[in-house]
Amino acid sequence: MTWTDIVFERLKANALEMVCHVPDSVIAPLITRVEADPFFTVVPLTREEEGVGILTGAYLGGRQGCLMMQVSGLGNSVNGLASLAIPYQIPFLILISQRGELGEFNPAQIAMGKAARPLLDSLGIQHFTLRRMDEVAALTDGAIKTAYTACQPVALILSTELVGWKNER
Amino acid sequence: MGRERQAIKRSGSINRLEATRHLVNRAPQALIIAGPGNAKFDLADTGDRPQHFYLWNSLGLAPSVGLGLALAQPKQQVIVLDGDGGTLMNPGALVTIARLAPLNLLHIVWDNGQYQLTGGQPTATATVTDLPAMGRGAGLQLVATVTTMNEFEIGLETWLTESGPWLVVAKIDASPAPARPPKDPVWIKLRFMQAVNKSN
Repeated sequence: MTWTDIVFERLKANALEMVCHVPDSVIAPLITRVEADPFFTVVPLTREEEGVGILTGAYLGGRQGCLMMQVSGLGNSVNGLASLAIPYQIPFLILISQRGELGEFNPAQIAMGKAARPLLDSLGIQHFTLRRMDEVAALTDGAIKTAYTACQPVALILSTELVGWKNER
Repeated sequence: MGRERQAIKRSGSINRLEATRHLVNRAPQALIIAGPGNAKFDLADTGDRPQHFYLWNSLGLAPSVGLGLALAQPKQQVIVLDGDGGTLMNPGALVTIARLAPLNLLHIVWDNGQYQLTGGQPTATATVTDLPAMGRGAGLQLVATVTTMNEFEIGLETWLTESGPWLVVAKIDASPAPARPPKDPVWIKLRFMQAVNKSN
């Protein structure tokens, strides 16, 4: 089992059937998995903030979902989260592939990576970081449950401790 | 140096409130997502109803909300009312709607070539930008432009009966929109979700 297998299973078990994403190399295998399963409606985005709108519409229509992106996309999503998901109380899972922490090779990834948690904190969005394989299932289930209890988005951050980093220098 | 040099074109003759009233009368069951600015004000002016979802901010996201709703509720007619400013803020929504192509989505853009609410500063559609061409370029197959109320009324019968997704650019005048919808986002949401449940 990889973290991808576990998150895939937990998304399905929790009926997060609409998956909106901008691809990222870490999340790519998960996107491939959900695309291959007719249980999921998969929406490729041009920009992550679109996903906040689409998941809002889906929730209004009775469907649950997940927004998958690299941490850069969090910056692209801020006003959608602040002006739509939070005030209208729209729950969904945000799955973020972290950059700019351990093993980063790209200088342009550092600042957004470092800003991610303070940004989520300042918006009041709860977030949990996946660091070890043995906690992936429980944290994913727990984050989803809290999102729908609180009627707010909740973020899961995939750390490079869990998913590794590129050898590039 | 560096200023926009093209002449500003005259906006259209359609009155947004009159067209919105006609739309609500012709599609009383439709679920309507109204973008920030005057689209939502004039929708409220037609009479506040549970099947209206008003975006109080989030410029650009109205068509995205409509897309998610249309995918979640494929048997319901979903109508998005937005402006040229919102469309230009998030043109990627046209791309994603074209890719997912929900049959039940009618996306109407009220285009008066200006950011009307903030003082009438011209948008790019007042000079160089062609929204219907952007829609076609994004991959939308069903794109209409109307410039008079008569064209809007005739077109609407097609847009409501033939499968979409439709993108309609309605060239409107610059009449103000004095009405205001309810302001509690959670109440708007819960009431709308009840309306969706009842319509199933």
